[in-house]
Amino acid sequence: MSDLVLQGVTKRFGATTAVQGVDLDIAAGEMVVFVGPSGCGKSTLLRMIAGLDPVTEGRILIGGRDVTAAEPVDRGLAMVFQSYALYPHMTVAQNMAFPLEMQGLGRAEISARVRETARTLQLEPLLDRKPRALSGGQRQRVAIGRAIVRQPVGFLFDEPLSNLDAELRVQMRQEVARLHRTLGATMVYVTHDQVEAMTLADRIVVLRAGRVEQVGAPLELYENPANAFVAGFIGSPRMNLIPATVRDGAVTLPGLVLPRPGLPAGGTPVQVGLRPEHMVASGPAIAATCEAVERLGAVSYLYARLADGTQVTAQVDAALAVTSPGAAVTLTPDPARALVFAADGARLV
Amino acid sequence: MTGRLLLWGGIGFFLVIIGLPFWWVVTGSIKDPAEIIARDPTMFPQSFTLQHYAKLLAASAYPTYLVNSLIVAVSTAVLTVLLAVPAAYAFFRMELPFREGMYRAILLAYAFPGIIVLIPIYGFFAQLGLIDSLVALVIVNTTFALPFSIWMMRSFLGTIPQDIEEAARMDGAPTPVILRRILVPLLLPGIAAVAVFAFISSWTEYIFASILILSDAQRTIPVGFAGIIGQYQIDWGLLLAGATLAILPVVIIFALIGRTFVAGMTDGAVK
Amino acid sequence: MTSAPVPVRVARRLSERRLAILFVAPALLLLAVTLVWPLILALDLSVRDVRFIGQSGDFVGLANYADTLNSTRFWESAGRSLIWVVGNAVVQTALALAAALILHQRFPGVQIARVWILLTWIVPTVVVVIIWRWLLSNSGGMINPLLVQSGVINAPVGFFASRESAMTTLILINAWRWFPFVTLMILAALTRIPADLDEAARMDGAGRWKRFSRITWPLLQPTLAVLLVVGTLLSFNVFDIIWLITAGGPSAGTQTLPVLIYETAFRGYEMSQAAAMSVLTGLFLMVFAVMASRGMSREAGP
Repeated sequence: MSDLVLQGVTKRFGATTAVQGVDLDIAAGEMVVFVGPSGCGKSTLLRMIAGLDPVTEGRILIGGRDVTAAEPVDRGLAMVFQSYALYPHMTVAQNMAFPLEMQGLGRAEISARVRETARTLQLEPLLDRKPRALSGGQRQRVAIGRAIVRQPVGFLFDEPLSNLDAELRVQMRQEVARLHRTLGATMVYVTHDQVEAMTLADRIVVLRAGRVEQVGAPLELYENPANAFVAGFIGSPRMNLIPATVRDGAVTLPGLVLPRPGLPAGGTPVQVGLRPEHMVASGPAIAATCEAVERLGAVSYLYARLADGTQVTAQVDAALAVTSPGAAVTLTPDPARALVFAADGARLV
Repeated sequence: MTGRLLLWGGIGFFLVIIGLPFWWVVTGSIKDPAEIIARDPTMFPQSFTLQHYAKLLAASAYPTYLVNSLIVAVSTAVLTVLLAVPAAYAFFRMELPFREGMYRAILLAYAFPGIIVLIPIYGFFAQLGLIDSLVALVIVNTTFALPFSIWMMRSFLGTIPQDIEEAARMDGAPTPVILRRILVPLLLPGIAAVAVFAFISSWTEYIFASILILSDAQRTIPVGFAGIIGQYQIDWGLLLAGATLAILPVVIIFALIGRTFVAGMTDGAVK
Repeated sequence: MTSAPVPVRVARRLSERRLAILFVAPALLLLAVTLVWPLILALDLSVRDVRFIGQSGDFVGLANYADTLNSTRFWESAGRSLIWVVGNAVVQTALALAAALILHQRFPGVQIARVWILLTWIVPTVVVVIIWRWLLSNSGGMINPLLVQSGVINAPVGFFASRESAMTTLILINAWRWFPFVTLMILAALTRIPADLDEAARMDGAGRWKRFSRITWPLLQPTLAVLLVVGTLLSFNVFDIIWLITAGGPSAGTQTLPVLIYETAFRGYEMSQAAAMSVLTGLFLMVFAVMASRGMSREAGP
């Protein structure tokens, strides 16, 4: 396995900049997940790492080798595509054998490696089938198998689970995680699903409009987001961002005052970040009107609107879940977990 | 209700205008001469005779014409495919200087009357000693089938998802290998469509065949039969037998591959 | 840490370009040799004074072009070509559209119908010629006696007797021969229109005509436009059917430009003149094609 280093990687299409000067150090064997909204440049970045799209500026180094100008195959990376991209006219065995044929390996060795990989992914009974005779999950495994069989120095995943149904997605997620543990492989994984990011990543890279917003371990991003964007993106349901003002060294919300050191001058508008699950049983409360309640069985979510019109979500226990739309409710956030962001999103406290 | 009526009315209409003439021709070819020119023509033949066919085969070199037409048509189909597929791929996927311009220019080839190149090509081929050879016909037919074939092929290429090619690149396949082992197998319906199109264009070609071929031994069916029309002006039986025989090979071929051709065209042909 | 750049990409870029050129070269070479070069030769021919094949003539500048543009025969033929093209366009489009719409429906035998609608396209032109010369002839044909028998007309019609009837008949025959291919193209376009658009319209209560005019027709227009342009080019240049049935007659009534050019070259023994006519015709058609395709891509919009 190799490490992967990105230095100032930029991609421009004419006047538009899709990726702006990304610097990243990925250690060998690390699983890094690129996550962000549509159009944030995560797929573009992945394709540049793969070598499918040329880099406008910057360098890419794999295992210390500058591969910025190298062809995909010369980089030693394997890629799993969102649509699997299996060769429809070849059997599963032939699909997996193809990259090895391209490498010029002998028939015996190809056969051995294909068989071994098939065994790892439980694909043996499917070896003679063509892709159209396979289910989505099976196709995905074949795509992964085709990548593994090459024994690459790193794996690239481009939203591989997006085309699967919800239940299968959970299963495959665990398969990918298991694969990572077993192979100890360097992996770069792109997804728009922050749940996949949270569960799979050693580190997450949050991208927005071509820029890296924050890089860090999942829980680090969850508990210590660098700005309001990351705070809102990671975690589901979204973190509440409530507009408030600074007064006398404290953040003032209707019904709640949060004294904090290091706040800017009085009168500055800020946003208070509160996760739905960080509600406590008692303490200073905020008044709101209930808009909807979603009861999911294990948890319930209360969607309410504050007096100033802001929507908030609160994870509530069964008792409070008896409320109905229109009723007045009070929410009691845990002051210790509240984060403060400037109006432009920068993290203050 | 009116919908169904319209539908079956329409089907009937096309059945009549296409089917009836051919029915008449085939049945006419086996009628007695007297019945053919009878005052009240018959829908169903009252007589049966093979004399027209006998006379036809005796009077003309039909088998030779048939063989020549087949050789030319098959060669044209093969050559067209061999040239069109790589060209279409280059226009579609690869970096080529002046790509768009060249592509549009190719279709302009059809703007010119065939006649305009007839005279120079005759002189040109004469210099090369290609007059009266089937090779000349293959060259000319391929030339005229090529632009449309490239256009069709490009449409078919568009139906193949790009990430399959990218996966092949990641797997280390160089471009010719991608074309040969990944794309061509997936393009077989398109290739068949192009081959059939080139075959039929070549099979029916008359103008160049009549000018470039001088001797009977190299003649193709369209010219051969035009000669017979000229020779036996009023012998309808003979002419109908000739027409029937000329239709036979393409009908047989189409009976075998017609379905694939139509399916291929309706799936991937038109952009 | 070695960071010697791997310059493979630059080399690959060049060889990729070279490969692309290699891929188009054979096709372009063939076209250049058998199309472009003869065009240039024809151009040369048109500015000389050559009567027979093989003769070499003196340079006469644009004399042939002047003669052509001044000759009434040329313009009359051009007019006939115009009638020919428009007539074919109308009849072929009508037939092809009707047939394509029918073949787009589901009925027993539709698969077979889709194959055999092409029958008139796959048979050699001479067969088309034989069929219709026979069927429409006054002695021994089938159509006239049938029409008389069923009382539609009193006396046999001379389909090729007058200039107008000959032109009309030829247009119908040519349309009969070529419309199936257009049908196939339109059918292909129809199958691309997502079925759920039509279904949504049905749910909204739109009747058959409404669905056609508001959904099908607009979505077909781009394809129809392309077919119209290419079809116009091709039908303009049709020579064999006209030549083999009427040879341009009666009294030049069906002498379209291709027929005139052929006659001028091979019967009138005026090679250079014919070449000039061809060049003029080709130029005119190219201008038409370029303008039409520009107009179409403007329609297609951003």
